[in-house]
Amino acid sequence: MTKQTMRCRASDNDYMHKDFHGALSAGIEYLDRHYGAEAVREYLRGFAVSFYAPLITDITKRGLVALKEHFEAIYAREGGRIRTVLTEDELIVEVEACPAVMHMRNHGYAVAELFSETERTVNAALCQGTPFEAELIEYDPLTGRSIQRFYRRAS
Amino acid sequence: MIPCTDFVPAYSALFSYLEDKGGREAVEGFWNYLSDNFLTHLAELVKEHGIRGCWLYWSRTLNEEAADFTMELDEDVGEFRLIMHVCPSKARLLEQKHIAPYPGYCRHCDALYRRVLEPLGYQYAIDMSKCDEAACELVVRGPVAGIR
Repeated sequence: MTKQTMRCRASDNDYMHKDFHGALSAGIEYLDRHYGAEAVREYLRGFAVSFYAPLITDITKRGLVALKEHFEAIYAREGGRIRTVLTEDELIVEVEACPAVMHMRNHGYAVAELFSETERTVNAALCQGTPFEAELIEYDPLTGRSIQRFYRRAS
Repeated sequence: MIPCTDFVPAYSALFSYLEDKGGREAVEGFWNYLSDNFLTHLAELVKEHGIRGCWLYWSRTLNEEAADFTMELDEDVGEFRLIMHVCPSKARLLEQKHIAPYPGYCRHCDALYRRVLEPLGYQYAIDMSKCDEAACELVVRGPVAGIR
């Protein structure tokens, strides 16, 4: 058959194009090579503060439970396993393996040297203007396994 | 982690950031880099399957992106047509009222794919006159089956 037609509607499929992780990684690598590491952080910070503004507002209102729910939702959606420990003043997120990193590793995409900034810088940005701070305690660049900590800022 | 479902706004923000840093040239420089380093699969498919490579490439990506589209392949005349009724990327950007999308967001598709297909001998045309409605139409014409 040399003539074919395909008609698809948005409702026919789930929105889950994991190759996008590779494109983001390529963007981070490009920024790093051409403008330096601080540009990578500045870009990610600017994006996160702007795009996640509703989440940041929610964190300010409801505390760390808002972040816990955010992480549980995004990792579950991409098949990532995490463990969270939440108290009033602290949230620990243990990521078994980052779905983004694993997808790139499994499909031969280059993982940018500064890809961990999608955790470190973005998490710090999520805390901007809230009573909390973020810390990336552990990070394995091979798998994206990480321990992320959020805690109430000392007053 | 920035989930892949938040990639499009992150991508748009990257274009804006690059333009602030180095003007339109900086954005286009990145698109060229991305095309050369990230779209190798499209090039491989077209080299191996001819015009059908376009069909194979977009069959996977557009379904994963939950796009609303019609694709037509006519290998007798060597034509591939993609009618994007609702582009999932642009539609998502238009939905986000609290961010300002990069004004030339849709131009990246033209830049990325043209750079892959034209050097392989294919004609590439895209009508972006309905980008504000998240719609576009792309046509690739190339050698008929067996002649490439």
